Amino acid sequence: MLLQLHNIFKWVNSGGQRIFLLKDINFEVREGEFISIMGPSGSGKSTLLNVIGMLDGFDEGEYQFLDEPVHSIKEKHRANLYKEYIGFVFQSYHLLDELTVKENLEMPLLYKKYKGAERKAMVADMLDRFNIVGKKDLFPAQLSGGQQQLVGIARALISNPKLILADEPTGNLNSKQGEEIMQLFKQLNEEGVTIIQVTHSEKNAAYGSRIINLLDGRMI
Amino acid sequence: MFKNYLKIAWRNLLKNKVFTTANLIGLSTAFAIAILLGMTAMFDLSFDQFHKKKDTVYQLYLSNQTPKGTTISVVNPIPLATALKEEVPGIKHIARSLSQDALITYQNKDFDLDAEYVDNDFFTLFSYPVIIGNTQEPIPNKNSIALSESTAKKIFGDGNAIGETIFLQQGREQVPFTVASILKDTPVNTSVDFDIVIPFESHREYLPNIGIWDSYNHLVYLELEEGVSLSQFEKNTRSFTNQHYENQIESMVRDGALPDTNGQYKQFHLLPYSDVAFVSYATGIAIVNRTFPYLILGIALLIIFIACANFINMNIALGEKRLKEIGMRKTLGAVKRQLFGQFWLESILIFVVSIVLGLIAAHLLLDPFKTLFNTQATLSNLSKPVILVGFFLSLLLITLIAGGYPALILSKLNAIRALKGKWEMGKNRLRNGLIVLQFVIAIVLISGTIVLHGQIQYMRNKDLGYNKEQVVSIPLNGKMDSYRVVQLLREELKNNPNILSVSGADNNLGRGRDGSLSTSKWRFDYKERSIGTNVLTVDHDYLKTLDIPLVSGRSFSKEYGADSLSIVINETMAKELNEKDPLSVKIQEDEATYTIIGVLKDYHFQNINREIEPLTLFMNTDWDLYYAYVKVSPAAIAKSYDAIKAAWGKVEPQAEFLGSFLDENVDRTFRREKTMATIITSGSVLGILLSCIGLFAMSMLVVTQRTKEIGVRKVIGASVSSITLLLTKDFLKLVGFAFLIAAPLAWYFLNNWLESYPFRITLSPLYFAMAGFLAMLIAFLTVGARTIRAASANPVKSLRTE
Repeated sequence: MLLQLHNIFKWVNSGGQRIFLLKDINFEVREGEFISIMGPSGSGKSTLLNVIGMLDGFDEGEYQFLDEPVHSIKEKHRANLYKEYIGFVFQSYHLLDELTVKENLEMPLLYKKYKGAERKAMVADMLDRFNIVGKKDLFPAQLSGGQQQLVGIARALISNPKLILADEPTGNLNSKQGEEIMQLFKQLNEEGVTIIQVTHSEKNAAYGSRIINLLDGRMI
Repeated sequence: MFKNYLKIAWRNLLKNKVFTTANLIGLSTAFAIAILLGMTAMFDLSFDQFHKKKDTVYQLYLSNQTPKGTTISVVNPIPLATALKEEVPGIKHIARSLSQDALITYQNKDFDLDAEYVDNDFFTLFSYPVIIGNTQEPIPNKNSIALSESTAKKIFGDGNAIGETIFLQQGREQVPFTVASILKDTPVNTSVDFDIVIPFESHREYLPNIGIWDSYNHLVYLELEEGVSLSQFEKNTRSFTNQHYENQIESMVRDGALPDTNGQYKQFHLLPYSDVAFVSYATGIAIVNRTFPYLILGIALLIIFIACANFINMNIALGEKRLKEIGMRKTLGAVKRQLFGQFWLESILIFVVSIVLGLIAAHLLLDPFKTLFNTQATLSNLSKPVILVGFFLSLLLITLIAGGYPALILSKLNAIRALKGKWEMGKNRLRNGLIVLQFVIAIVLISGTIVLHGQIQYMRNKDLGYNKEQVVSIPLNGKMDSYRVVQLLREELKNNPNILSVSGADNNLGRGRDGSLSTSKWRFDYKERSIGTNVLTVDHDYLKTLDIPLVSGRSFSKEYGADSLSIVINETMAKELNEKDPLSVKIQEDEATYTIIGVLKDYHFQNINREIEPLTLFMNTDWDLYYAYVKVSPAAIAKSYDAIKAAWGKVEPQAEFLGSFLDENVDRTFRREKTMATIITSGSVLGILLSCIGLFAMSMLVVTQRTKEIGVRKVIGASVSSITLLLTKDFLKLVGFAFLIAAPLAWYFLNNWLESYPFRITLSPLYFAMAGFLAMLIAFLTVGARTIRAASANPVKSLRTE
């Protein structure tokens, strides 16, 4: 079991009223799964993904990640947990504009205190694997959207996470680029990486092994 | 990691060129000026601090109870030091010291030197090292002298000086002395600087006054035995004072003076030598005042503060642009500490670069600065370990506050919010607070500048009661008898139609090029009252030469023959005598009876920052003149000056001509005010400039932030002027608010400062209104330029980017 959500509630108070963002979410993710979260705008997809990624908290319920109780451990411990096991991929890539491709890939390793030589080897490996060696000294602005997302995924993968969280990874891409990215996810999944993606598109959802549908914060 | 931070920092700095440049210019200028000002302040504070015994050596001063309050005198009678050491227990070493010019002749060449007449113990008390000669007794006998290194070189060239004989002009005689030692040159930061040291006993006034207790001319320094406290010593001196100053104390009692709390009319006190350069006795108690150097330091700190406030504001504002980076780094596992470290490092980077640039700039500006501010300070005044460590620590602290505060705010942000680029916090309050503070400082400094210049102008233009534009005063620094010199000058210039009159006196007006300043006082009994007056010995035509009008009576005149028992007094003196007809007054002293022959209108014979005191003019050829006065016609002033110089060359070919117009002399007396004005002016210019750099950057940011709003308003139909007003208003409000705080503050400080001048301008609200208006105008121009451009941009463009 990779992770387990139990009766998760999340809400905000607005004008004396409690508005639920997530309502009684229950599900489990086993290693090697490829899950797609679907639903209309405002149904809580991204919120759920952020909760799973520990970037956001929740108000009620229990969350076990690799048998660690996320709801009760300290912030610092939690940061170590996601630093170690989770990689993020965003719709708008979120690469650092001031850094080159190579430096963007290197950044997560810096926070994990890898040695210089090790970092170099891992970055070179990743550049090789994604066929972007020739672009290693370019800045994000010099790349196409598909290429930027490729770098984004490479960055998420570089420290060998168990879980990849992808928030509409193809949302800013054209259909051909989108398809390539989805193929890549499928391939990664076959190599053993667990993936949870948020998507609007039925076609992309079909790449996954399981679909979770959300409406107004509730699983249906 | 560190490399990565540096890289990111570097690229960020390059990306935000405007802000980087604004910050670098602001901070480096601030540092450069702060370094220079700090150096000046440190130099001022270092005066006399090089003496090893500066805290255990004391200057002796005497407080006197008079009917008008307590006065303090530091000059002492000749027999005092010896008697004090013999009769009062607790003195380890005591030395007398008297500064005077000395004219030295060696092989028919004349040298005008700064002389110090001292006892040998002077060298035990003070750290003036001996290079060649006896270190304990550099002047072993009455006929020996010591020279400073550079003076010895000036007189003897590279030849041997020790054992040579030189002649010292004493009155009309030449007295031989043997050079016994060579001393190291006095450092620049000493209150007592000299070229030649002469035994105190060899002063011409020494023998005639050896038993006289009521003629004062020199300072006394002493060191106490171990275990003797100041209060104990002061107590010990009481019976001594009562015994030796008995006559004076009797007349004090008679005049109605009240004793001090210990029942004393005269009380000796000791002032630590380290305070001597900063003491003022004006109010009857010794006040050690280091305000001026601390004021300079304060201005330096204010300037740094303004630049740092800019830095903080820009950094916080720019943080908004970096939210994405922060969010991303957080999702990649960065913790608060790491982010904080990163942003702090960026601040340190900017500060280090600024400090290096500032140091270079300070170095380049050093020479013009030294001339402008009239200081001998060097950067080495700052290179002391304590200051360097302090500087380093304050650098860390400033970067921690200036860079760390934005860093702390940014690093605290929630990752998701940061990624979404949302940042709502009350940062405007801090920003506005800092801007207001900056302008408060700027407005206070600007008001200071305006008022200071007003006061200087006032002092310069004030009618001093004599003609300062047309009169040249010449120090009589030659060997010839002074009356003869004045007479020869008179004859030499007689046929020049532009020379109106020539006279002489024993004191200068203002401060001449010889730099010396003296006061002579005389105290006598009149109708059972003790009256004190300043005295001045003059030659014929003194009043005519200086255009000083008589109120009644007559001036000294050749027609009346011997006028040596006649005196002329000023109005204040006449008031002091309190007689209906001052011309009837006869003053009896010893065997002489003086008759008042005239009363002259009060004129400022002393510095203009003092009240006019009683003055009595004598004409007695037994007393030397020290200055010649020449009045020229207003027509050809420069030509006349050259004519006077030429005449001097004929009369006294050996002596240097140091003549100068009296208005220059008067200007020289407020050199201190001028230096202060220069410092405050440059401080205010820099202050307003830096504040505006900050304001400009902030207005740029606000405009960027509100681009969409501006677009929407324009589409709805707002005019360019209404939008400009809308954007500018917020900033001008801050400046207005700053004015409200600054005006009373400035009024308080300036009023306090002006109170030390008996003749001063009145503080009108206009000065402050002017300062406020100036600040407002400059701020408007700074912000307006940016906002008008934004307001007139095509709204379609600004909306499209959204």
